Amino acid sequence: MNAPQTKIEATSDRSLDNISAVVGIGHSDWRADYAAVRGGGKPTDSYGYGAVSLKRALADAGIDKSEIDGLIVGSPTSYERASELYGLAPRWGMQADSSQAIVAAMMAVKSGLCEVVALVYGNDQQSAKVQYGGPQAMGGGSNLSYVYHAPFGLTSQGALYALMQRRHMELTGATESDLGQVSVGQRAWASHNPAAIMKDRPLSLESYLSSRYIAEPLHLSDYCLINDGGVALIIMEKSRAKRQGRKPVTIKTAARYDLHGGSTTLRPRLMDFYHTGHTVVSQQIYNAVGLGPKDMDALLVYDSFSCHIPFALEGFGFCGIGESGAFMRETGIGPGGKLPINTHGGHLSESYMQGWAHQIEAVRQLRGEAGLNVPDCRNIQYISDVVGRVYSIIYGVE
Amino acid sequence: MLGPRLYSPFDETMWKSIAEGGMRIQRCDECSTYRYPPGACCPNCLSIDFGWEPISGNAKVLSWITYHKQYLPAYPAPTTIVAAMLDEGEILITNIDASETDKLSVDCAVRVVYGDHPDGYKIPRFTLATQTS
Repeated sequence: MNAPQTKIEATSDRSLDNISAVVGIGHSDWRADYAAVRGGGKPTDSYGYGAVSLKRALADAGIDKSEIDGLIVGSPTSYERASELYGLAPRWGMQADSSQAIVAAMMAVKSGLCEVVALVYGNDQQSAKVQYGGPQAMGGGSNLSYVYHAPFGLTSQGALYALMQRRHMELTGATESDLGQVSVGQRAWASHNPAAIMKDRPLSLESYLSSRYIAEPLHLSDYCLINDGGVALIIMEKSRAKRQGRKPVTIKTAARYDLHGGSTTLRPRLMDFYHTGHTVVSQQIYNAVGLGPKDMDALLVYDSFSCHIPFALEGFGFCGIGESGAFMRETGIGPGGKLPINTHGGHLSESYMQGWAHQIEAVRQLRGEAGLNVPDCRNIQYISDVVGRVYSIIYGVE
Repeated sequence: MLGPRLYSPFDETMWKSIAEGGMRIQRCDECSTYRYPPGACCPNCLSIDFGWEPISGNAKVLSWITYHKQYLPAYPAPTTIVAAMLDEGEILITNIDASETDKLSVDCAVRVVYGDHPDGYKIPRFTLATQTS
């Protein structure tokens, strides 16, 4: 059902590779807003978090709002209302998740539909008390697996990943200590990141293992944060970006492969761990740039739950199937490790911005402006496989 | 009395079969492919013609989890959930008595039994299959 299709070869005139660049990034004050919301406040709404981020991204890029002629907004906000509130008159625009937003911006720039694209995400999920499980679980309109099984007792996105993790442990012999390296490593990165919500909350493997279960085998620290906030990026053609004055970060390539067959009953998760998609996408992106997993200076993985990381490492060929625990231990994924993973702290420890903050961390690392910079960072790979949409993007600097 | 939420015009027939103690799922008239959950067409051949066939009730465990936090009013913690492959080749996900959690393993045999949801309708549940046939 999910057999890989023939290899997709990018041709020179149709390829999106190496056309676009990120020239500006911005985000809201995640730590302050997290504290404010916990204290019962509501600093602003999803549009407001987007506005704060967009203003900072424009300043970072050194351009005026009037130069924006394309707009992509994240799923919590309406494209039309965002255009109105942000005072934009785009020639082209849409709503998208973080991965699709980057790909769409590449397509729009390449095709000439617009020249300067603002990507703006804002989400008030914490203050609006968005539910990711239980009787009021969100997302059922798009993904039936999020809501269908509630009468039978299964709810929450974490539980879907816990089912994957249990099967992975049973089939490969992986342990909770293997998985714990992810939360511990990312927390260590977050301790260097002034923007990370969990910056001052160190986590040892011992405290990880003794923390409470939510959906066993997943512990509390395997779950992402829930917080309000926003992220924005400005993307334009690389040649124009070079004239902009700042060192542009090139979007070298991107690819996608979807697995939806039997998705309500979790078939592509439980029978495949999404590896079919990982395989196809990895072949396409690594071929496109002539690089492989060993050439990546850092890896950013969409981590609503920690177990995304071992599945991605095994699926994209960083290690063999079932070898991710030993690989992470021997290679090192935290500060000083040979394969730094989620160097901002990720969704687990920095901010849950549904993949958007991973994109700006790629830029910060490649500019050398991160909380803790990976030495000589030239190529960064992003991987996301949320509900069967497998994406990967490679960012780089020349 | 609240019934289970219906997501398609095809759900009601399935829930009725569950209420009668013999869960049925759709099977394509053209290519004989089973499908679950209920839906309008066959993912294999796109035919909208189908019949309802009773499941054997035998399944093999793929995975399981135990909730230590309560999300749903009907399911206080600890609740154990099992995903298992039915003989028909479709995956069914439902709960199992928490006392059976320690005996679960990948590929171990479970069978469907029928229990009561507190909202007043029947649901299929799993129980460990006995070793004797």
